[in-house]
Amino acid sequence: MARFFSSNPTIRVCAGIASWIPVIVWSIDHGFTISSVSGRSMQPTFNPDSNQLTRDIVLLNRQAAISHKYKRGDVVTLYAPDDPDKVITKRIIALEGDTVFTLPPYPDKFLRIPNGHCWVEGDDTYHSKDSNTFGPVPLGLINAKVTYILWPLPRFGKVPHIEKPGRVAIYADPSAF
Amino acid sequence: MSIFIYISPFARKAVKIFSVGIRAFCTIHITNEYIIEITQCLGPSMLPTLNMVGDFIALERITHRLKLLENGDVVVCVTPTDPWRSVCKRIIGMPGDRVCIDPTTANRRYITVPSGHVWIQGDNMSNSTDSRNYGPVPYALIKGRVFARVWPNPCWVKNGLVSLDVFK
Repeated sequence: MARFFSSNPTIRVCAGIASWIPVIVWSIDHGFTISSVSGRSMQPTFNPDSNQLTRDIVLLNRQAAISHKYKRGDVVTLYAPDDPDKVITKRIIALEGDTVFTLPPYPDKFLRIPNGHCWVEGDDTYHSKDSNTFGPVPLGLINAKVTYILWPLPRFGKVPHIEKPGRVAIYADPSAF
Repeated sequence: MSIFIYISPFARKAVKIFSVGIRAFCTIHITNEYIIEITQCLGPSMLPTLNMVGDFIALERITHRLKLLENGDVVVCVTPTDPWRSVCKRIIGMPGDRVCIDPTTANRRYITVPSGHVWIQGDNMSNSTDSRNYGPVPYALIKGRVFARVWPNPCWVKNGLVSLDVFK
């Protein structure tokens, strides 16, 4: 068997190439990936044109999601809590322990984010299905951080980091003092 | 490989070992992530099924990607309350099912599992932190289905769903 593999040059080359496939898959899962953003929930950060003919292409940093360390204002992609097949792009508004002032569809006026959860919202509040609809989301659902806009070229650059201090009462960790 | 001809044999060997090492690491990692993984399950929450001192269990990571999980399957999932922690529980309710939140209390309350979520509980209901504490869990947090105990006492972990017809 081993002689068969080593003697036939075609099979040897194919096996050599195939052995690198796991490396490619691993680096996609744990490094940087390119993806496109559809929909208008993140206007004006992504897809600012309302015609929806073009989609922004963005760079996803999966390494940042493995460490589960996020800041308020980061744009992340996460699995929709109500549909495991759908991946949505939202901005983190509040992290665990914070008190967030919610917007209309949510039943309560304000809410303290439970442990291991965060509050995500689209930048276009009125066309976004976000935490105001389905509540705080577990951090484990987040699978990547959106770091760069790659296409279209005029808007190439870092994704802006926008915090909403008026909406959030930030939890100060007592052990930090 | 012609570029390595001008490098010393020692460096050639080092490059070769490095490349094989990377490929082996990634192959093992991808197998763990997408096909099968052996992991340890600590704690008393699955007591009659799994031991509390740390059984090694085998979980396959194909069924949940194909959305073929059923009521009664033992799954490993990330806790909603801590993204670092994984727990091993049994699925009690799938989306749309009506489940009893806690059957041990006098006034029973029922909840309909929302779409895209599952209701999970430990087999040892008196000592388990599960959906009764943190509510239905999003399906995307499920990491895999436990299908066997590897060590000690190797055996298959079966679907624990008992049909109501048994009690007729």
